[in-house]
Order: sequence, then structure tokens, then C-alpha cells
Amino acid sequence: MPIEIPKDKWPGSIKSITIGATSAEGGTRAKIITIGGGTTMPYLQFDAPVLSGDEAPNKPVIAIEIKSHKPEDWSPLLAEVWGEAMSDPAEWAKKAEEAGADLIVLALTVDDSAEDAVRVVKSVLSATGLPLIVWGPGQAEKDNELLVPVSEATKGEKLVLGICEDKNYRTIVATAMANGHLVQARAPMDVNLSKQLNILISDMGMPKDRILMDPTTGALGYGIEYGYSVMERLRLAALQGDAMTQFPMIVTPGFEAWKTKESKVGEGVPEAWGDWTARAINWETITATALVESGADIVVLRHPESVKRVKGAIEELITA
Amino acid sequence: MQHTISFTQHDKPTPIVAQVPTNTLLADAAHIAGIDIGQPCGGQGRCGRCAVQVTGGTVRRRSTLRLSPADVEQGYALACQTVVEGDVSIFVPPQEKIERRLTTDRVVAEVTVPEGYEYLQDQTVRRIHLELTPPSMDDQTDDWSRLQIAFRQQQNMERVTCSVDLLRKMGQVLRDGDWNVTAVVDVSNVIQSGESNHTIQLIDLQPGLVDEYSPLWGIAIDIGTTTVSLWLVDLVTGRVRAQVAEYNGQIARGEDVISRIIYASKNGGGQELRQRVLDTINSLLETACKRVNAKAGDVVKATIAGNSTMMHLLLGIPAENIRLSPFITAVNHPPILTARAVGLNTNPEASVDCLPGVASYVGADITAGVLSSGVDVADDVTLFLDVGTNGETVLGNRDWLVTCACSAGPAFEGAGVVNGMRATQGAIEEVWINSDTFEPTYRVIGGGKPKGICGSGLIALLSEAFITGILDKAGNVNLMANSSRVREGAHGGEYVVAWGTESESGEDIVLSRVDVDNLLRAKAAIYAGFTVLAETVGILLESVSKVLVGGSFGKYINVEKAVQIGLLPDMDWSRFEFLGNTSVKGAYYTLLDWRKRERITEIAKRMTYIELSADNSFYEAFTSALFLPHTDLSKFPSVAEVLENKQADTEKSTHVDK
Repeated sequence: MPIEIPKDKWPGSIKSITIGATSAEGGTRAKIITIGGGTTMPYLQFDAPVLSGDEAPNKPVIAIEIKSHKPEDWSPLLAEVWGEAMSDPAEWAKKAEEAGADLIVLALTVDDSAEDAVRVVKSVLSATGLPLIVWGPGQAEKDNELLVPVSEATKGEKLVLGICEDKNYRTIVATAMANGHLVQARAPMDVNLSKQLNILISDMGMPKDRILMDPTTGALGYGIEYGYSVMERLRLAALQGDAMTQFPMIVTPGFEAWKTKESKVGEGVPEAWGDWTARAINWETITATALVESGADIVVLRHPESVKRVKGAIEELITA
Repeated sequence: MQHTISFTQHDKPTPIVAQVPTNTLLADAAHIAGIDIGQPCGGQGRCGRCAVQVTGGTVRRRSTLRLSPADVEQGYALACQTVVEGDVSIFVPPQEKIERRLTTDRVVAEVTVPEGYEYLQDQTVRRIHLELTPPSMDDQTDDWSRLQIAFRQQQNMERVTCSVDLLRKMGQVLRDGDWNVTAVVDVSNVIQSGESNHTIQLIDLQPGLVDEYSPLWGIAIDIGTTTVSLWLVDLVTGRVRAQVAEYNGQIARGEDVISRIIYASKNGGGQELRQRVLDTINSLLETACKRVNAKAGDVVKATIAGNSTMMHLLLGIPAENIRLSPFITAVNHPPILTARAVGLNTNPEASVDCLPGVASYVGADITAGVLSSGVDVADDVTLFLDVGTNGETVLGNRDWLVTCACSAGPAFEGAGVVNGMRATQGAIEEVWINSDTFEPTYRVIGGGKPKGICGSGLIALLSEAFITGILDKAGNVNLMANSSRVREGAHGGEYVVAWGTESESGEDIVLSRVDVDNLLRAKAAIYAGFTVLAETVGILLESVSKVLVGGSFGKYINVEKAVQIGLLPDMDWSRFEFLGNTSVKGAYYTLLDWRKRERITEIAKRMTYIELSADNSFYEAFTSALFLPHTDLSKFPSVAEVLENKQADTEKSTHVDK
């Protein structure tokens, strides 16, 4: 006798959000990406299957982080794998696309002028057809100084601009609204703070299908449990119908994992730690996979091998 | 069609008349007639300050927000929201009268002598006349025995005792008064036991027979972490004759109880903090006595309320264990002490009664607050909030009482805020901001030039700045706002409430970003405290029949604004009552009446203390309250409505511009 498995029905769902615009839509992207759309807790395939196709709920995607200048403080393991490309953002973006990135995160630096920033963003846009996320250097004034001209110069591309925080969001949101871009809203690992920032951004009139939330996270062994549970709770709140938490989530496991001692240091560590490269990639992969399972829609990674492995993990999650 | 509008002003005998067409706003008609009707909110019907009384003729009220049905019945109308539809007669009432009538304003309760106060029955100190037989070569009885005999024979007081200091001056006093003396005695032991053979303490001895009805002085003190209040009371009539308050001198050594405890545990720190608060109290005592031509040394009884840390520091008792788990006080209920031992500059024999507390973070200030607010005898479930540096909450009725405490910081007492001050002369206590021009209108206590902003003014300012869009919901100053009053300050954005040209000091009075953060934290802590407490005992806030609010505010509190910033729960305004400083009031009640003193001991025993740090629900509630008015706007439907209306207004005006 066939048994009908009861399906959980939640009153709320995650918004479907599209990043990037093709030429038909006023941009230049060869490929655009839609994320979100979830109606259950992640990967409860018996309730509502996450699909590999273009239908909601959409599967999570992977972004590779590149920088406008070769980063001096990155692990030598990353410098080794990306090689010369690290000195040329356009080249780096191309290699990232080859490595399997679904989209690119371009991080500008404090050394960039407004003109540099616009030039670098444009060169990356011509080097790859992937959708693009652009981050300021992370200092309020400098972020605003760089992101406004970038936003204006790329009107209609549907970039994601970031990173908005509660003390500095107005300028970025205003320029994103005026030029048809999206924003990334980051709050420090707290459900309420995430929600509050989303409210502030929405209060400015930003359409709800143009906000990504970044709940901030920690690496494996460095607070991932906390990050995981905050994401889980955000997802639960969203499903329960709280409109201000129904945005897809972007997290940065690459950034977090590569600043741990385990990834950064190859010498003078206990022998039991094993091979450095294997360990560092494991660290990034395990961090990212855990976050995918807690409901991340975009994971931002740094090492091509991690990209491959996390992709595999996502495929397994939705086909298992 | 033209109509005749006749305005009668409260202070002028002859009406002024103007001719205006149909549908003219009363405010515009008044302007034409040359009469100034203030519109602090910019004519949006938000503040209710332009209310006038229509005594004849036809008008149409577009909005009666701020007016009760009874007001409308009596002809009241908002000048900025009402248009003429015929010949009309208008009475323009004085501003003061309007403020009294507005439903949002709550006048803080005044102090009255408790009904039925009988000095001879309720009071534990008495003034007694004694006429002694002078000694002679035949009667060689010593002075002290002679005095005791007089007590026994004339007052039926068997066992009188006194200090060595009194013995030292006794001989002179007896002789100065030619063997007629006035004694002040403490009869608490006799009164409370009902038996006459208990010890009676002699407090004071004065030569001659002092007028029975002349004042006998006592003081009620509240030692707050931020503010110390002292009331000078005539124990004969029960009347409060002087009320004084000042910042606690300990502030210079830490703004909250924790930093005070840490300071006290350093070498000599405890001694210094004790001296600082004694200096504050003794200087208040001096000021109060001067006002009524009394001497500090004439004060014969003191009752002290204050949180547990303040009590420990006053008495010089080590307080470290209050801070360390499992948070145990040295003493919740100190015995009755003398002023000499405590260090007060009253009569050194005066009894000093430190009222009982409940736990480390729920002290005698709260038991006193419960007593004076009457939560312990309420029929229905009542919420009592003490809006002070420690936001204590009590929930309950005559059957049960639960309590909790959280650290709110001193912002609502005007401390830790750039231009904050206590609610005294020169403090801005109420503010409205015009939402088109961002220009403020404010009311200053005493009516002179502003010196700073007190707690109620800060609540009003925060609320107005938020509703008008100067602040976003996180408290960020919107520097894009089109006004010279909104500017970049030393610590982020700020809003200028009063320019240097208007202020007492000649410097701008501002609300800074840091102030906003302090106020947000304070209101969030208090809101989180009572919501978590209510949740813990399974009580819905909506089912609370009364919300009693204590705190060192000015004379008025605007409930609506306190709700708009999310300090108070969004419920019917009639359920709120503002009681002023409930702690000093409780100390005053117990100073007068020994039965109240027994009741407060009962209250301390009955209260169940809930430790908020036991789980993370408080932190959760706190961060969600750290927003204007709250992260969950559905908890504040009245504020949501105001915001929606404002949004609609903005869209309308944008539309017109196009």
C-alpha cells in the first residue's frame, strides 16, 4: 500500500533574485543567475526539491573572489594556484570562470582611485560573461567614493554592490537604486541585526528583489556553529513569513577559512596536521559545505579545488 | 463666499475679526487676524498644540487626532486641520491649558501627605516636654537619674537609654533650660511590640519647652546610581517641605554599579566612594535645610532607599560579591543605625533606616517603589517600571510579585549624553520638530534659556527626530536631510536642537550619534527587561491593567513619544501612570509611618527575583529592541500607522511637485 508522505507547508518563502543582465535586458552579461526561491528548510527534497534547472527553488551558486590588486596577505598556496593572473583582474576573472565560478566577486582596494575602480570593473566585465559582485575596500568613505562611479558606469548590469552595513548603507543603496543594481547587506552574526539592516535598506525604497543578505560567518573551528545557527534561524523566520528575512544569503567561507592558522601556516605546526595544501583546501571546503547546508545561496571561495569540491557536494545534496 | 471669523484670546477682552473664504484653515484665518497660534509640528495635526475652541458656527474637522470625543463635544478643534464653513467664533485658550488637556501628556503625580497621617500614632519619633525637679542639697540625685525619673513619672517611659555624647552635654542643657527640657525620643521598640517596657532611645535634648507644633525634621533619601534625591519632611504634619536632587558624586568614578564595585575594591576606593556619596547627601541636606531655615543638626530621623550596591557603598561594606557569581550581597536588610555611624550630618543620634532589598540587583529602591506605587496591593496585574540607570521591573498584584533588573545606563537621567542634564531649571523637557523644515519647538523647565536636555526631553527629541526622518530606524543621522541643523559632528552625525544664540551657555545644544546610541541601549534594555519578565511568567503585556512608570523625569511625560521610541509598550495611553521618583516617595512613606515600614519588609520577602542572565532570551529581546521603535514593527501598531501616514504624505507631496 502506497504511503503518502505529508508535506510541510510554510507560509513564507525565500525571494527569487536574479543577478546580472543580458544585452536584451540592458546589460552585457552572457550568463545571468537566479538564486533563492526556497520554500522549505534547505534540501528537504521530499517537501520541495531544489532543482538543477532554472526553476525555483534554485540551487546555491559559487562565486570566486578576485581583487583589483594582487593581494600581498593571501596564502602562498593561493598565489601558487592563480599565478600571474593575480596581477591582472581581467585575467584572473577569466581563470576563475574556467575554474567553474558561477559568478565573480571583485574586491576593490584602498589603493584604487575612482577612475581605477571604474576601469578595473569594466575590464573584468569584458573579460568574462559572468554576473559580477563588486565590493568596496571596506572603509565607509572609500567604499562610497569608489562604488558610486562604478555603479554609474555600469548602469543596467545588475551588479551586486557591497558591502552595506548599518553605519554605512545609504550612499551604496541610493546609487544601486538609481542604476539598477543590487546590494549586499552585511550584519554581524545576529538575526535581529540582519533584519534591522534589511528594514533600513527597504525603507529607502530599494525593491525587495534586489537585496542579498550577508549574515557574516566564521570558519570551521572559528565560530561556524554560530554562523550556521544564525543562518538557520534567518531561514526559519523567513519561512514563517517574516518579510524582512526572506532574502537569499551570501556568505564568505573563503575569506574566513583562509585567515585561519591551519590554512595560512605551513611550517612549525604539529606533524599530525598533515599536508598543508590538503588541509587548507579541506578547511575551505568543509566550511563552505556546512554553510550551503544551512541555507547559503552564494558561497564566495578562493581556491579552484574548493570550488570543484563544493560544487560536487551541492550536486550530491540535490540528487541524493 | 466670505465668512466672518471672530477670535477671542484668553488674555484679551476684545475679539479680533477676520474675513475669509469658505474652506480656509482656522490657522490661516488666525494668521490673517494677526493672531499667532503655534504649530510646532508644522501644521500636520501631529502634536495637537494648536487646539482652539469653536464656540459658535460651522467648521469641518479634517482630523481630530489628539482630541478625545469629549474634547470635540466641547468644540475643540485643531486649527491646522479645521476649515471654516460659515461665520465662526473661536476661543484661543492659553498654551498651558492645552498641554493639560492633551491625552498624550501625563503629569507626574504630586506628593501629598498620606491620608490620615497621625503623628502621634504613626511616627516613631516623638517630641516630649519634661519638667524636672531641680536638685538641691536634700536631693542629690544625679542628672541622668533625674531625667529618667521624669520620663517614668511624666511619660510612663520605663527604659530610656542614650549615647555618651548626650550624657556629655546633658548637664548643661538641663541647667540652661532651668530644668525644663524638650526631649526627642525614638519609640519604635515600644510601638512595634505594643509593650511599654521596651527600650526607648533618647535622640535629642534641648533646653526649655520647644513648641509642640514646631517642625520635627526627618529626611527621606533615594541614592540612585546617577541621581541622589532628598526630601526634607516635617514629621509633625507629615508635609514634604523641601525636595532636592543632585547627581551622585560617585559618577566621577564609574557610571554604572559594576564599575563602582570594581573601583571600590581597589585600595582606598571603597572609602573614597563612601565619602563621595556622603558629600552629595550632606550637601543636599544643607541645601534643603537652608530653604526652610532649619539646621542639618535638627534632623532626627532618616530613611534611605537605594539599590543594593549604593547601600553597600554608603555603609562602607565591601560590595565585590554583588558582582561575582553567585551574586550575593553582604546584607539585604541592614539594622537601624545612627547618623554618627553612617556619617550623615544630621543630629548624630538620628536613627538611619536603610530599607530592605531583595537581591544584588533588586534593592530597596524597588521595594520602596513597589510600596509607593501600590503594586503589592493592586487587584489586577500591574507592571511597574523604574526608568533609571538600572531598569528594574516589577510585575504582579496583591497575590504575587516578580521582579528583574537590567543595566540601562544613565541616559534617561540626562547623564552620559553630551547636552543632557537633570530635570531642573533650564532643561528642555519637550520637543516637537516640524517635518517639512526640521525646525524644532521646545519647552524649557522654568521658561528661560535652555541649558541642556533632560530625560523627558531626550525621549521627545529621539521620537521627533525619528518620526520626521532625521534619524533612521537604527538611529543613524540622515545627513541628506535638507537642514543646517543636521550636520557632521565630532562623533558622527548630529542634530542641533538649540543654536548657541538661544542657549544659556552660548553653545549649540545638540543630539549626537553617541547620545542616540546611549538612549537606544537604555530604552532597549528596559523594554527587553519587562517583555522577558512578562514572558517568563506567561503574562501577555496586553493583559496588564496598568503600567506604572517611575523615574527622575520632569513634570510631564509624553506617552506617545515614549511609545514611538519603543520604551513603553504600545497600548491604550490611559493605562499609563507616571509617578516620578517612586523610590524616594517610598522612603518618605516609611519615614512617616511605621506600618508602612513593616509593609516594605513584607514586600521584600514576597518578591521573586528572576535572573535575566540565566539564558539568552534577554539578549535576544535586547537586540531586537535596539531599533526604532523595534525590529518587529507589528508590536507597535500605532507607530506603524504614523509611519504609513507620513509615507503617504511624502508620496502625495512628491506627486504634487511633479
